[in-house]
Amino acid sequence: MESADANSEVENDAEMKLLRDKFRLSAISITESQAKQNGMEVSKVVVTCIADLAFKYTERVAKDLHLFAQHANRKSVNMEDVILCGHRNEHLSGLLRTVSNDLKARDPQSERKRKKETKKNEK
Amino acid sequence: MMEEVTFECDLIHSILKRFWTLRALERENFEANDAPDSELGVGTSKKNRTTSANGNALKLTCELLRVFITEAVQRAAAIAEAEGASQIEPTHLEIILPQLLLDF
Repeated sequence: MESADANSEVENDAEMKLLRDKFRLSAISITESQAKQNGMEVSKVVVTCIADLAFKYTERVAKDLHLFAQHANRKSVNMEDVILCGHRNEHLSGLLRTVSNDLKARDPQSERKRKKETKKNEK
Repeated sequence: MMEEVTFECDLIHSILKRFWTLRALERENFEANDAPDSELGVGTSKKNRTTSANGNALKLTCELLRVFITEAVQRAAAIAEAEGASQIEPTHLEIILPQLLLDF
């Protein structure tokens, strides 16, 4: 597959290739585990395709997270940015919000910092 | 007891950092060629400070990526099952791909 110029640095980066291979292994593991849970076999082609797709999706998520944080005049990405990544699907954003609330509940120390930020972000 | 297989935070963190670093470098090169103006230079260097992510955001991102894969498999599995197949094939994935990409 031909890649646009903007992606050539990413494609040619040695460190990224290593990370991508590790990512693929994890993605394959998750895919096979999910197929099992659904009581299905999954063809090797499909497993590879999903792993590749997931990595490309990760690049998009990286770009979006950066843009969202930058838009909020922050250098550091927080959970609200990740939740925004799910804005195209209600179930997804709901799920992300639920998980983020669980994480917040488990980590009361960061809750203080977060209170300031949520007040700023609330419309 | 079902063990949930997921991405390791450290791996995802390394990947995100690498993407952010590479993009910051790209922007530096692009803007260096495009803007000889010193005022613009100050502005762009602010924007070029590499992004970082807090711990919870990373965990949530791992979950997001895991869900992406889970949805792909579950949706394709549903198609395969409806066809009476016992294995998820490329055609099943093809069918669910457009909506998957619209949803994520």
